[in-house]
Amino acid sequence: MRCDVLEMRPEGIYCPGGDFFVDPRGSVPRAVITHAHSDHARSGHGHYLCANSCKPLLRVRLGASASIESIPYGDSIQIGDARVSFHPAGHILGSAQIRIEVKGEVWVVSGDYKPQADRTCEAFELVKCHGFISECTFGLPVYKWPEEELIHQQVNQWWKANAEDDRPSLIFAYSLGKAQRILAGLESGIGKIFAHSAVCSFLEHYKSAGVDLPSVIKLGDKEKEHFGGSMIVAPPAVEDSRWAQRIRNCRKGFASGWMSIRGARRRRNVDRGFVLSDHADWPGLLEVIKGTEAEVVKLTHGNGDVLARYLQEMGINASVLNESFYVREEES
Amino acid sequence: MKLFSQLFHDLDGLTKTNERLKRLAEYFKEADPVDSIWACWFLSGNRVKGAVKTRELREFVAVRTGYPDWVIEECYDRVGDLAETLSLLIGDNDSAQEPIHLHQAVSEHIKPLVYMDRQDRQDALSQTWNTLRSIDLLPFHKILTGGFRMGISKGNLCKALGMAGGIDPAIVAQRLAGSWTPDELSLQEILNPDETESRLCRPFPFCLAYPLQEESPGILGDPNDWQIEWKWDGIRAQLIKSEGKAMIWSRGDESIGDAFPEILEATKLLPDNVCLDGEILAWGHEGLRSFSRLQKRLGRKSPTASMLKREPVRFQAYDLLSLGGEDLRDLKMERRREKLERLISSLPNRFPVSISDVVEGNSWKDLEALREESRDRGVEGFMLKKKDSCYTPGRVKGTWYKWKIDPYLADMVVVSAQLGHGKRSNLYTDYTLAVRNEDGELVVVAKAYSGLTDKEIKEVDKIIRGSITGKFGPVRSVKPNLVFEIAFEGVQISKRHKSGVALRFPRINRWRRDKAPDQVDEVAIIKGYANDPTRQEEDGLKVDEDGNLLLF
Repeated sequence: MRCDVLEMRPEGIYCPGGDFFVDPRGSVPRAVITHAHSDHARSGHGHYLCANSCKPLLRVRLGASASIESIPYGDSIQIGDARVSFHPAGHILGSAQIRIEVKGEVWVVSGDYKPQADRTCEAFELVKCHGFISECTFGLPVYKWPEEELIHQQVNQWWKANAEDDRPSLIFAYSLGKAQRILAGLESGIGKIFAHSAVCSFLEHYKSAGVDLPSVIKLGDKEKEHFGGSMIVAPPAVEDSRWAQRIRNCRKGFASGWMSIRGARRRRNVDRGFVLSDHADWPGLLEVIKGTEAEVVKLTHGNGDVLARYLQEMGINASVLNESFYVREEES
Repeated sequence: MKLFSQLFHDLDGLTKTNERLKRLAEYFKEADPVDSIWACWFLSGNRVKGAVKTRELREFVAVRTGYPDWVIEECYDRVGDLAETLSLLIGDNDSAQEPIHLHQAVSEHIKPLVYMDRQDRQDALSQTWNTLRSIDLLPFHKILTGGFRMGISKGNLCKALGMAGGIDPAIVAQRLAGSWTPDELSLQEILNPDETESRLCRPFPFCLAYPLQEESPGILGDPNDWQIEWKWDGIRAQLIKSEGKAMIWSRGDESIGDAFPEILEATKLLPDNVCLDGEILAWGHEGLRSFSRLQKRLGRKSPTASMLKREPVRFQAYDLLSLGGEDLRDLKMERRREKLERLISSLPNRFPVSISDVVEGNSWKDLEALREESRDRGVEGFMLKKKDSCYTPGRVKGTWYKWKIDPYLADMVVVSAQLGHGKRSNLYTDYTLAVRNEDGELVVVAKAYSGLTDKEIKEVDKIIRGSITGKFGPVRSVKPNLVFEIAFEGVQISKRHKSGVALRFPRINRWRRDKAPDQVDEVAIIKGYANDPTRQEEDGLKVDEDGNLLLF
């Protein structure tokens, strides 16, 4: 990366003007965090800075002893020569794009983002900049998300049909963000709603941020219930565990952007895939990248090669950020 | 395509066979027979030939979406299914109108494409894309590009039809066998409860053999309970003479008689209304010839006189399924055999229709010793058929077994890989394999797709992703690292291949984690396995492991 504002270091994106890293790995004195997902917010750093609504989630992730400072969206803070502000990324609650200005040059690190509607987090805000570091998890034109409302309807219809057969509905969704989004769309009155404790640990923070959620029963390791007709929301990691196996005779669903491709869904071996992503789809990526009016675009996470070449052919100076050290789990 | 599209998406969402069968049967009960006969036809693996080339289709989609070709290719690589890729790229259609019928989709939107020039075809498809609802796109592209079965085997299609019509699936199977078009066959005929009416000119569903998994067939009990024959390396077929007309049907339900006029001619000496099950073999004055000789006859529709002379064939019968119009499949194997022997004994010697001899052996041990001669005899081992078994459609445990000779094995290293398709899309599952030549260089000898467990596939995928050295279209060259033991059935010497050899049915036997890439085998060893190294391999049609002609 050639610019005066940011550079790549083994720990991640570094701002020499302010002597801080964005979403670093390893151990650094000062970390500025885009959002509280584990591949962005890692423990072991000296001090953390994030957006206000991200802070309680980050606290769950990092524990009581971490030193976390936060500021409201839109406010700026001076760190050395750098002016830093947070702007909603629309990815999950508290997620932010980080705007960094050094000597009049503005760069934005997107973190993960989506411009689509999501009732569980702050709406994406477009930030004009000279340089834009964009995620591109779904950087192929085959990824186009249906309306959020439609997916919620599909989930509820599926749940209802399963309940009519007296069968439980088990949906796998990432425990922070996706799970709450699924819960927020559920119609109360179809049946009981359970969630894995990993999902529940974030619920109160969503509620205190004003997100409307149905009442959810926390499901521990042992309870043996009659789950017929219930909805259970759990992280994908427990799929093969005893926790999930005791929910007998259930139909399984999976909520993810990857579910828009049949091959991916069949490999998951679930009954139903729901195309619900907390990342931008292809039209969303293009819309945002063009909207920033950035002269330089760097792409991270995913199909960078394709999107970079496509943008180049449109006359945009885009390239893939060398992230050989920046190994990331795909959105699951 | 209203009900058909819904069926397609519902089947796509169901994983359990029983639920899928139930859903399919429901469709056949509910749908207009004019539409469902087309559903039957497509589910049997058929397509409207010559409607549009897939390359052209990609170009049309590129024009419509405005994406450059290479973006479409990248998408196809990711999705692993062309019809699905195109459907996703075309995406939602707000102007969609009333759903059209499946038969309309075929007769008004697909068939006319065959006779159009390119520009008209592009315009017509564009119009079709405006007409279809987004839910119709994928099923439409599937029937347009062909070869799709929604994971429904022919057997299950027959079961579902049987459920819908309340009749025996075996009867359905016979009515659906052979090649037919929806103009010739109606759903009413398929589901006709009058089961005595049978279509004599169609083949019966083939009885198939299970591979004998155990080392020794001792578990099968007394060898005298079994009819034992050599397992021929030819093309499985049924020879039918019905109302004086002779036909040969391959297991792919394709009529292949034109390629073998001497066999058709020979049926003049057979009684009328007869159906024989057997194997077409290359057979010269010296006896059985290799499969590659038979391949020379497959490539062409009507062979020349000199070809007939140079590459003679014969139909080696091993079962008699009907005689004088009487269905014999419910008779015991030994009874059918008696009748077959009587029938064939009336024919002259050295005739294009003959009988597959029964092998005698008093103990499995004797037979095991005899089986060692398989390679020298040019056969693939033994077929074991229970003497008291009926002729059942498909694979049924305990009736027929194939006791094949062990395959050849060689250690090879992966030098390039490609993403798989369907369930394996987005995983590197197609491997190109190399061995060493005299100079120690790696030369490609085979491609293999199957043989690893799902877990191993994932692990291998990771290793491949970490060792990619180059990109050639969809192919990724990799640093030679992964060593697999490859099993294969035979070797042809080939000038077209750089390594000088072509392998038959290579597949991965196991992953040799213990071997380094410089420990792979030498090509000279593989060449030595060729049974007739002076012969040139020629392009032929695709034939699977059991000699079933694959035409789709």
